[in-house]
Amino acid sequence: MPVADYARVVWAIIAKDAMVEWRTKTAFLSAMVFAILVLSILFFARDPTAVSSLDVAPGALWVTFTFAAMVGLNRAFLLERENGAMDGMLLTPIPRTAIFVGKMGGNLLFVALVEAISIPLFILFYNVSLAGRLPQLILVTAMATVAFVAVGTLLSAMVVRTRFAELMLPVLLLPFLIPPVVSAVQVTARILAGRPLSEMMPWLKLLAGFDIVFCVLTVLLFEATLDE
Amino acid sequence: MNEPLLAAQDVSRRFGYRQIFSNVTLTLEPGEVLALVGPNGAGKTTLLRVLAGLLKPTTGSVRRNGTIGLVAHHSMGYDALTARENLAFAARLWGVSETGRIDLLLDRLGLSKWGEMRTAAFSRGMIQRLAIARALVHDPGILLLDEPLNNLDEPGAEVVLQVIDELAERGRAIVVVTHQFERIAAIATSVGYLVGGSLEGPEPIDGRAAEVVSHKYRSLLAGG
Repeated sequence: MPVADYARVVWAIIAKDAMVEWRTKTAFLSAMVFAILVLSILFFARDPTAVSSLDVAPGALWVTFTFAAMVGLNRAFLLERENGAMDGMLLTPIPRTAIFVGKMGGNLLFVALVEAISIPLFILFYNVSLAGRLPQLILVTAMATVAFVAVGTLLSAMVVRTRFAELMLPVLLLPFLIPPVVSAVQVTARILAGRPLSEMMPWLKLLAGFDIVFCVLTVLLFEATLDE
Repeated sequence: MNEPLLAAQDVSRRFGYRQIFSNVTLTLEPGEVLALVGPNGAGKTTLLRVLAGLLKPTTGSVRRNGTIGLVAHHSMGYDALTARENLAFAARLWGVSETGRIDLLLDRLGLSKWGEMRTAAFSRGMIQRLAIARALVHDPGILLLDEPLNNLDEPGAEVVLQVIDELAERGRAIVVVTHQFERIAAIATSVGYLVGGSLEGPEPIDGRAAEVVSHKYRSLLAGG
């Protein structure tokens, strides 16, 4: 399939997912409520006289992102299972990888939106200054998000036909998220502490490695999840 | 002689230890309408999914010389989208131009008035009409219909039968899985009985009355 046609199909799937979510708002509202709850609970759980907000902020941010994203990832392929919509896609001559890339693109859009709204709330709750360091935080957020959305999309496709899909996804996904999320927490801690870029580079390289490996492997493995 | 649009050779399908059907052989020429009858659980839907390419046969092979249009038990659409958006999405995946085609299908299936309505608000009959429109969006060479008259009112059923007849006249190959053989009899050119895991036929209908087919079907069910 020519690249332009491939891109057109991928975009059609992303646009369709965005439209469905825009109309229903079910996953988005759940994810946002979840994000606000996690940020506030972790903030109020600490003793401000013993632990500075900067010490818990990186972990709180990534726990929020990770679990809020899971709400959207869970929904991704459930949407295709309702009414047998996945069959409708599989009948068409489009490459199976285009379905995966489209669904992953839709998930990335969803998670990016949740993160974009969560970051100002995070700044508000934890009183952190990101003056001049916001681009760095956006970079690490984007890199880690690509890694966990890639794995999350694949596992969502894999568990969707199981009886307890919404319970299975976190169980399977969380072990895969440990490496990228730990890297992201390490980089975020250094960004918030105002450390130089050179200190973050090993973690950023690791994250880039996860991105490449996870993206390539998940695209290659997706077709195997479609066999009945 | 025309090249068959669909040819299944010694197709079997098993789920785990359960053999659904075995050694199914059939060919569909252009213009042929095969009515596939069989009791509940006989494997008609599974056979249709194998013919469509959604399921791999355990043994045997299926050759398709055309694109597939499938009407299954589910609508294959999205409740949050309108009828028009659902058809447009399908058209984009098939790489066909939406211009005119969607209006034509909405009109043909009697959905013009509801084209801008989200399908979550559709009745079952409207969903069924939309599912048929969706299956036709790319003008498929082979049409596989699983109980296409389900949930349809009388005018809706008439429209669908007319559409099937028109498509057959235009050289499409059509398989109709049905429990309402009497309704399909007028347009079917052959009939196959999927009973006890094997396919009897397909055999030409040759103008035989629906009662004759029904009698044979009952006899097969009774093991006669």
